[in-house]
Amino acid sequence: MRGVTGALAGPVRRTLPWRALGAAGTLGLLLAGAPALTGAEPTDGQTLVLLRGIALTGALGLAFLLDDPARHLTAPVPTRRPARQALRVALVAPPAALWWTAVLLLTPSGTRPPVGDVTLEAAVICALALAGATVAVRLTDEPRPGPSVAAALLLAAVLAPLLAPESWALFVPPGDERWAAAHDRWAVLLCAALVVAAVGAAEPLRRGRLR
Amino acid sequence: MSAVLVAEPPAVDTGARGGGARAVLALAGFEARRLLLSVPVVIAFAAYAAWIVWRTRSSWDGHPALQDADRATQSMPMLVGLAVLVCADLAVLRSARHGTEEHYALLVVAPWRRTVAHALSVVPAALLTAVCVAAQFTWEALKPGAVGHGSPAELLVGPLTVLLFGLFGVLLARLVRSVFAAPLLVVCLLFTSVLGTGPDGADGLSWLSPVVAGGSATTLPSDLLGRPAAWHALYLAGAALCAAFLAVLVAGGRGRAVRAGLALSLALAVTGGVLQARGAAPSPELTAARERASVNPEKEQTCVTRGRSTYCAFPEWVPRADDWAGVVDRVQSLAGGPAHDRRLLVRQRIEARYGLESDAAIPASATAHQVTVGTGWGGNRVPEFSSAVAAVLVTGSERATEGLCDGRMVTVMWLALSWQDDPMDALRRVRLDDSVSGSAVVLSPTEPMSMTEGQTDVVRRLLERPGDGVAEKVKEHWAELTSPGVTTARAAELLGVAGPRKADSCEE
Repeated sequence: MRGVTGALAGPVRRTLPWRALGAAGTLGLLLAGAPALTGAEPTDGQTLVLLRGIALTGALGLAFLLDDPARHLTAPVPTRRPARQALRVALVAPPAALWWTAVLLLTPSGTRPPVGDVTLEAAVICALALAGATVAVRLTDEPRPGPSVAAALLLAAVLAPLLAPESWALFVPPGDERWAAAHDRWAVLLCAALVVAAVGAAEPLRRGRLR
Repeated sequence: MSAVLVAEPPAVDTGARGGGARAVLALAGFEARRLLLSVPVVIAFAAYAAWIVWRTRSSWDGHPALQDADRATQSMPMLVGLAVLVCADLAVLRSARHGTEEHYALLVVAPWRRTVAHALSVVPAALLTAVCVAAQFTWEALKPGAVGHGSPAELLVGPLTVLLFGLFGVLLARLVRSVFAAPLLVVCLLFTSVLGTGPDGADGLSWLSPVVAGGSATTLPSDLLGRPAAWHALYLAGAALCAAFLAVLVAGGRGRAVRAGLALSLALAVTGGVLQARGAAPSPELTAARERASVNPEKEQTCVTRGRSTYCAFPEWVPRADDWAGVVDRVQSLAGGPAHDRRLLVRQRIEARYGLESDAAIPASATAHQVTVGTGWGGNRVPEFSSAVAAVLVTGSERATEGLCDGRMVTVMWLALSWQDDPMDALRRVRLDDSVSGSAVVLSPTEPMSMTEGQTDVVRRLLERPGDGVAEKVKEHWAELTSPGVTTARAAELLGVAGPRKADSCEE
């Protein structure tokens, strides 16, 4: 099994949606470098919004990760779908981590919010993108669910800060007394998203009813 | 014998133009239905409708000025526009994504005609937005307390924004044939609206963005707004058409109509852009008119008489004189002595010299027996105006109210609040910190007043008692209650309630 996975790594690496990931990554780096390029001095809150937006950009790229035009051909291969999807995630994880580090280093150091907590928020939105993609793959026959997942993620990202009750306190500004509690909630959200992603990754034994 | 029945050959539509137009319309109808029923657009419209209902129910405390209400319709269509942008982009790219582009090559409908159909499919979304905008504005206009005039150009901005975003999505799909361009563009657009870099309308460049809501801290008469709204609507329409014609051109439409349309729409957009930039800074005439309205409003205003008093207001606010008269009459009916029959002049005053964004305070008027009223009404504005009326009845003028900190404050606040339905709630609302104990600042249309802790206690005791006994005592002791220098303890004694625990802290 290990040998098969190893042998798959090369072909899977070639089928990854590098253009989408590259476009999202480049845009994210440009956004991160924008304050330094334009000489602007953003406030704490602006830097946080900037980082959240960059995380959203990266997550939009990741929403395309499970797009596989050859999906119907690879369905009968002995390596199961969770393993193939995990391979895709594993191949993308190191560049994504490098990219996020670069983004953090590019933003102005003076107004940078706590790195660990912002990374947690970024991880949540990326996990949500992946969960959406796995669920879309599981529930539909669409070889490329990326655009729909990206649209849904974008819509959720626009509406969540507008509509989420104030008492949930997810989108707190830096320096807010609820910051620590908010990030406990973010951690719970991360676990939930990962569980959904894991459940969505499993290949159903029978064809779903949504066909 | 062979009467061969020659079947007429099926009418082949060789007239590419006529058949093409029909096919384009059919495709446009199909795409429009798909666009309106796509999940992001449905959710965006649902959120938009919910926002309209939730906001309009309580906006401006039921007393909107329509020259503000029209601008308030502009911001939320941006959300719908973003959803339409993404969905229109994905719709144009659908054939490429599903590998059906080759099949379309067999049809008579050329790619540029399909682009025309996609551009037309955005129009129903814009029309639906127009319906929402019209519903929101009509709701505001039908409120009994509505005053002023809305501007059609400001109302057009919402639908035109949706049209512009949707057509831009079509153009984007023709320029960048990848599905992730639209979501990434939306993130960039979100940044421009979220990151606090929203346009303020101060210079010509900021008017290039679709929605220039401009912070509206104050309400001004509609001829003092100084917003190039009509030119902005022209600019938006020109930019939207320009995007549509450009998309058709990119898709291979080289007809004379396309080129002419592109040139014309570009001319429209540039004309609108240049003229709105010229109108962004206030013209000398507007500056002079604002100066006049701020410093010497007498010439601009219309005066009406209700009962004993005269009410002078900018023409758009004259219908509100009855509301003001109701407050003045109730306060005056509680007053005693000469104040009971005094002729007051209620004058509306504004500070228009610093534009819409500033929230400049209006200085107290030195004229005797003149009360200032602002442009807002309803909610907290009522007890604030009531306090100003009471203060002028007690002290004689607004200027004399400055630094008022003796026992007369008790009479002022009792006159201002005791006639209201819920005096304690009115007391809480008229105080800056929303408290009913301790010292606090009392708001009024001009300079705020201040209440000490002892005065607050006495006023609270008075308001908690049935009003009639107090009303008799106020009229009976009017002269002493309103004489300068009367202490809070003496006022409480005259009115028959327990005095403050310690002496007035004003003198400390």
